[in-house]
This record gives sequence, C-alpha cells and structure tokens, in this order.
Amino acid sequence: MKVALKIWRSNSQTGERALREYEVDAPEWATLLDVLDLVKDRHDGSLAYRKSCRMTICGSCGMRMDGKTVLACRTRMYDIAEAGHIPVISAMGNMPVVKDLVTDMDSFWEKFKSVKPYVQPGYIEPPGGREHIISREQMSAIHKESLCINCGACVSECNAMESDPAFLGPHALAKAMRFVGDPRDSKRIDRLEEVSGHNGIHQCTRCYYCNERCPKGVDPRDAIAKLSAEAIKESIDSDMGAKHAKWFVTSAKTTGWLRETELVPKTQGVLASIKQAKFALELARHGKVPPPFPAHVAKNVKESRRLHGIVARQGRNGFAGIVQGEQAMAKLEHGHTGHSDRDPYGPGSFPRPYLPGEKREGAKA
Amino acid sequence: MSHDVLVIGAGCAGMRAAIEAHDAGADVAVVSKLHPTRSHSGAAEGGINAALGNAKEDSPEAHAYDTVKGSDFLGDQDAIEVFAKEAPGDIYQLENWGAVFTRAEDGRLAQRPFGAAGSPRTIFAADITGHVLIQVLYEQLVKRNIKVYEEFFAWKLVEDDGRCQGVIAWDMLNGGLKAISGKSVILATGGAGRVYRVTTNAYACTGDGMAMALRLGLPLKDMEFMQFHPTTLYPTGILITEGCRGEGAYLINKDGERFMKKYAPNALELASRDVVSRSEQTEIDEGRGINGSVMLDLRHLGAERIISRLPGSRELAMTYAGVDPIYDPIPVRPGAHYHMGGVSTDIHGKTELEGLYAAGEVACVSVHGANRLGGNSLMETITFGRRAGRTAAEDAHFAPDAAVPDSALADAERELGELLGRSGGERPWQVREELGSSMLDNFGVFRREEQMSNEIEIIEKLRHRYNNVVVEDKGGVFNSDLTQAIELGYCLDLAACMVQAGVARKESRGAHARPHDYPTRDDDQFMKHSVTRWVDGAPKLDYAPVTVTKWQPTERTY
Repeated sequence: MKVALKIWRSNSQTGERALREYEVDAPEWATLLDVLDLVKDRHDGSLAYRKSCRMTICGSCGMRMDGKTVLACRTRMYDIAEAGHIPVISAMGNMPVVKDLVTDMDSFWEKFKSVKPYVQPGYIEPPGGREHIISREQMSAIHKESLCINCGACVSECNAMESDPAFLGPHALAKAMRFVGDPRDSKRIDRLEEVSGHNGIHQCTRCYYCNERCPKGVDPRDAIAKLSAEAIKESIDSDMGAKHAKWFVTSAKTTGWLRETELVPKTQGVLASIKQAKFALELARHGKVPPPFPAHVAKNVKESRRLHGIVARQGRNGFAGIVQGEQAMAKLEHGHTGHSDRDPYGPGSFPRPYLPGEKREGAKA
Repeated sequence: MSHDVLVIGAGCAGMRAAIEAHDAGADVAVVSKLHPTRSHSGAAEGGINAALGNAKEDSPEAHAYDTVKGSDFLGDQDAIEVFAKEAPGDIYQLENWGAVFTRAEDGRLAQRPFGAAGSPRTIFAADITGHVLIQVLYEQLVKRNIKVYEEFFAWKLVEDDGRCQGVIAWDMLNGGLKAISGKSVILATGGAGRVYRVTTNAYACTGDGMAMALRLGLPLKDMEFMQFHPTTLYPTGILITEGCRGEGAYLINKDGERFMKKYAPNALELASRDVVSRSEQTEIDEGRGINGSVMLDLRHLGAERIISRLPGSRELAMTYAGVDPIYDPIPVRPGAHYHMGGVSTDIHGKTELEGLYAAGEVACVSVHGANRLGGNSLMETITFGRRAGRTAAEDAHFAPDAAVPDSALADAERELGELLGRSGGERPWQVREELGSSMLDNFGVFRREEQMSNEIEIIEKLRHRYNNVVVEDKGGVFNSDLTQAIELGYCLDLAACMVQAGVARKESRGAHARPHDYPTRDDDQFMKHSVTRWVDGAPKLDYAPVTVTKWQPTERTY
C-alpha cells in the first residue's frame, strides 16, 4: 500500500525547521515505525527517531501523530492510508526537540528520580533470607503502575505541565504510586507528604489526557487519584486540593448533594472567601448560587450515608478502593466475568485441536 | 572520563554487574546506546528459572541436570552447577529490591512450568518478567546514583599494554567520539538476533560486544548455535512467550492436529525449544501450515486465565496480528531468538584479555551449550552479571590506572572520517536486508551443507559491498544513519563466524540441525566447543573441550 506522511523536521544545532512530505510503498501490516524506517532507508538517511524493540515494551518511539502522542511501533497505518489521510508526525510535547522526532528527556528523568523511585526497605527482613510474603491481592494493587515503560506519552500530553513545567507530572507520580502501594516500602507516609506538596498531585487538572494516551494502560491520572485518596486517608490534607476533595465527601455524606456555596470557604478558608464575597454576590444576583439555608437535603440521603459507612468500615477509603473499582471495571470492559457464552471452538472457529490417531467429531472421511 | 569499572550495555546483565561492582566499592559507570530501561532484556516475557521449590519439590541439582540435558551436553557443567546453585539467592535479592513478581496463593513467589524443566521452576511477573526486572534494576541504579553514559554508542574496545583500557564511543545526542577508560571493562551488550530478518530481537541487538571483542582478537565460542524460538508472531517475528505453553496452550496445524504428539509424545508442547521449532518447521515445510505458520491455541484456557496470566501476549497478538487469543489461535513460526554463542568467558566472567569481562547474552560461559532452556537466560544475566561485576571490581582494586591512548582515538577519528567521507554509492539498507533474508533461508532451523557454503559466499560479497556503503547523514546530532551502518558491519562479521562454524560442525546438536546429512549427535567428534578468532580479515575456527563434572552424555528425548 502507498503511505504518505508529513514529518516536522528540525535540528537544534542548526535551528532548521520544516514540514516535509514523504510517500513510501509499505506492506499492509506496516506500523508507523515501519513506515519511518522505509522513509529513512529509501528517501532520507538523516531522519532521526528513536526505536528499539518495535513491540511496545522499550518505550523508545514516542512521537505525535496529528497532535496526539503515540508509540510509532504500536500504530498501524493501514486504515489511515486507506482513508487517504496524510498524517503529520512531530516530536513529543513538553520536552525540547533535539532533532526531528528525538526529544531531550533529561527533565523527564530528573522528575522520575526526584520521587525516589526505588523500594526503601524498613527494618523488617523477609523470613529466612527468602522472599517477602505478599498476598496476590496486595501485589496486584500496583500492577497497573508497574506496567509503565517510561515512554513519555503521558508527559507529552500533560496540560498541567504545559502551564507549569515544574509540575511533577503523570509519569513521576504514577511511579510514586507504585512505591506507595508496595508493602515492602517503609516510606509510604514520607512519599505521600512529598507528592502532596508544591508541584505535586494537586496540580493535576484532571484532563485525563495521560490516561487516554498511555499505550500500556497505566492510567497515570488514576494513580494520582490513588495518591490523593491515600494521602487524605492519612490526614495529609492541608493542601487546597485535598480540602476541596474532602468537602465533596462531607457534603455528599451529610446532605446527599454538593453544597457549592460552602465549597469556597471549606477549600480556600474564610479569609480568602471574604475577598471573593463581591464575586459571590454577583453570582447570586444572576441566580447562579442556590440559597445556602436551609440546606437542600436529598430524599435518599440515608443511602449516601450508608455507602460512606461501608467504605469506611471496609477500609476502602484509601487507594485500595480505587484499585478494587479498577479491577471490576476491567472485567466489565473486557466483557469477561469468567463465563463466556461463546464456545471457543464453535462454528466459525479454527478447528478444535485433536491428537493424532484420535477420532475427530464431524471430520470429513 | 575514567572509572574503576566500566560496563558496556545496560540490560539486565549490565545493570546487575554495575550494581554489584558499586556495592563492592568500585567507581562504576555504564555506557549504553539506549536508555537503560529501553534495553531488550525488558522484552523477555515468560520468566526466570531458579529451584526455589515453591510450587513442587525441586533442587539446584535438578535444575542443573535439566540445563545440561537441554544444552545437548555442550554446556560446561562446572558453570551450570554454579548457576543452578546461586540462582535462588539472586531471585530473593531481586524480590527484596522490589521486583513485582506474581505470587502464589500462600504469598510466596509463584512458579510456572516451562519447556524441558522437570519441575515448575519459572518465577514470573505475568508475562512481562523482563520488563519488571529491567525496572527494578534501573531503580537500584538510580538509588546508587551510578553514572550512565546514556545514548553513547560503543564503537571500539581499546587494548594497550596487554590490557583492555576502555572504549571509544560515539556520543549520539551531541556527536563526537569520546574515550572512556576503565580498569575493568565488562561487556554486556546482548545478542545478535538482527543478523536474521525474522527475529524476536530489538533493532538494537546487533552483536556489538561480540564484534568488538572479535576485532580485538578475542575468541568467540559456539557461534553456530542460534536458538529459534518456536512461537514468534507472523509476520513480524515478535515474541509470544513460552509461558503460553507453560499455562497449557496447544500448538496445532491447519487441520487442528496437536502435532507435537508426533515429535515429543511425553512433553508435547513443552519439549525443548529446538525440538518444538524443528517440529513446527517440519509441519510448515510439509504443507500443514498456514501462510508459513502454525497456530498457538489458547482458547481452552478461558478468558479469565488469559487476561490474568498472559495479558501481554494477548495485547501483542491483538496489536500485531489482529487476533484476540480468547477467540482465535495465534499464527506463529520459529524465529531467531537467542544466541547461545558469544565471547568466551570463565565462570567469573573473565575473558582472555586482562581487564575485559563479559556477561549475559554477549558471553558464552557456557551455560546454555547447544540449546538454551526458556527462563535460563534472564537467570544467567543476573547470576553471571553479578559474578562478573564482583570479579571486575575486585580486580580493578589491584589494576593499574587505565587510559585510552591518544593514538587509538586518532585512529578511530580517521576511520570515522573515511566512513563519513564516502559519497555517491550504495546505502546500507539493502545489504542489511539481503543479509537477514539469506541467513534465514540458509542458516535457519534446518541447515544443509550446500546452503551454508552458498551463504558463506553471499556474506563475502555483502562484506565487500559493505566496505563501500555510504552514510547519508553527515551531521553530529542523533546520527542513527551512522550508528546503523556500524551495526551492520558488526552483523556481517558475526554472520561469517556463525556460518563457518556451522559448516564445520558435521552433526546435529541442539539448535544446529542437519537432518539431511548428519542427523544425529556425534559425541566422539563434536562434543567440543567451536572457537572462532578473527585472523587476517577472516574468521578462523578451532575447538575447545567441554567441561564435564557429573553427567555423561545420554540420548536426549522429551
């Protein structure tokens, strides 16, 4: 098939920058990476991009296609070429470009290192110099975070980092969660305090682009939510972001509704709220603020309170609750609850396996 | 830029060696053409073998014997005994560092069955075991603040005064050749699967360390033994783990027949890799394949088990073959996977040259002999990476200061100038494609005398063409056109060594199968290692004895 694409070529040493179009003949199974290889081999040897495993595990080939970050090796070109679309390929965002599709990832790794990305063991040694005894449930709690291949797709997409480059960002925070959730680590509280501070979890704008673009299903935004839940559970909640979240919970528990009027003073404090009184009155004048008294109480508020009680009693108010929900969601998403109605060897399937010499049901004589 | 211990390559073996050398008190640096977590160790899927006995009774002796038998009695038994004995401790170390291994019901490490293993011995992390190891080792590297020369392409090993002095490397991000010296230098550059067109290996696996050592006059051992993995995805050669078969997957031909029953009636799909690859190739050659593939059938395992134990394989099959293994079998075929051969070392990782060590796939200790067992390579990287790191650090203590002589750098500059100075000729890609295809055709799962002889001539011609190839990119910044051209040179040298050793081995042993002229193993003549050196611009073959401690060769059936 013929595949055409446009590539933003640039060179940090010469300052050149240009959008160039290429067309190559590629096999139908070709990925974006295969196409780039063809461009480099057949057309322009100076095209620069990183690559290695070509199987979504090394994390080298992050780049943008039509503005969205992808792994080149994971992006099949067939549909795009068939549709006659000519995609624009450019380097990842939130990182300086070195040449063409190669970015400088120094700041990416510095942030990674700043969360102390290694298990910090405590005084408890595993029994008999062997492995720690850890239940499946405990270990699988950090399964998603440990899938991360450091490709940078989440950072490339991060809106919060674009406005504030000092933000730790989705990659480093997901890595932090991987250690917060690890029973072998002794610094859980220290870690939660660190990520709750300046440039930490509460800087996240919850745009969910990192979840959307992560090629491995790490869901960094969810990792940030887990950190947040765990921090609040441990009363590391002095940040406005934490107060804001807590008020949602309190409000839902007491009245079953979000009492927006009280949200500002509960989050920002009374003094800050007084400063915004004029703005609030203005909103009220336009009917944008419900009267605070008497509080509007939902009819089934008892149900909301009961739910709150269950979460608290079962100890699911930290990250564990989110993990549990995640696992349930994953099952729903795959449509598999362990029982499939479909016979895997039924009509339309590839032949049922049989051993040589065995009689085959329905086999042609 | 000078260090006590310089590690070249940052996969599992390199990082494990660097950590050990650091902990032994040495000033360590790592040189790698990729960021460490991008190394191809990370693509290992199924697991890592150690006789923990968590799933069933097991012992290092049993592990050692399975490995000896798997090696078709070409592995050095002293090395294998050390390997099996030290493996469990190394696993506990990795677990204590934070490796996210899959757990058994009782909270201990789970172990799954793997090919040709007498007991469920393979520790794993779902089917991303290599990924988990590479992350945990990099974490430990960061914790120790070990210096990494990231994206430095090692080009020349430097020998002076009878010792290895260090390496000359190309700085990929900024351009320019840099000399980095080390009192002890450890090669951990991995394998050379890219000699073949269909391979599970990453683009980076071009045998750099083996070729650099070869050019320095060092011997490469058992180069004819390239393992073909039975389950690589059609058409790309991407690895589908042996763990699938460990979990109970079937191999079937186009009629739905579980053909392994014919070839390995007891072990079936879990026979040794060389046996399964040959069986598949026979099915395909005799017309019972589909599109040059057979089928790996997971459907009977059910969705739950596939999703929880083999999520990575499912993802790969869906992304790269458009097949969901819950509903459809996966098209697979044998592909070049692991090089049993490599730089000859002793059990401490020492090579023939003072101050030079090697560990992991680049090395040949030899643990794997003529055929490696699944799960043993990750273990080898860790155990022998650690051993090499320890030895290198201890030796560096007593070694003279190392320095790369200016003349060596000047020579390299001149050679680079010559390479970049060429214009108006063939570019490397065609040579690379012809090498990969011809090696697959003529030096694949089955080997014929006339095809191998033919391949020697093909390689000779390609080498001739290679001497005039043109690097189009003349710049300094991320010039992968240059590094890929150098890598091709490495591959050509190694291919020549492999085929020469293959023609000379007139028997069938492990991964070297000659069913048409020498269908059986010949212990009288060939129970010996092949040893290749580069002499006067061509490989020169010799042999060395195999170390036998306890186990005399017997017939190998599964």
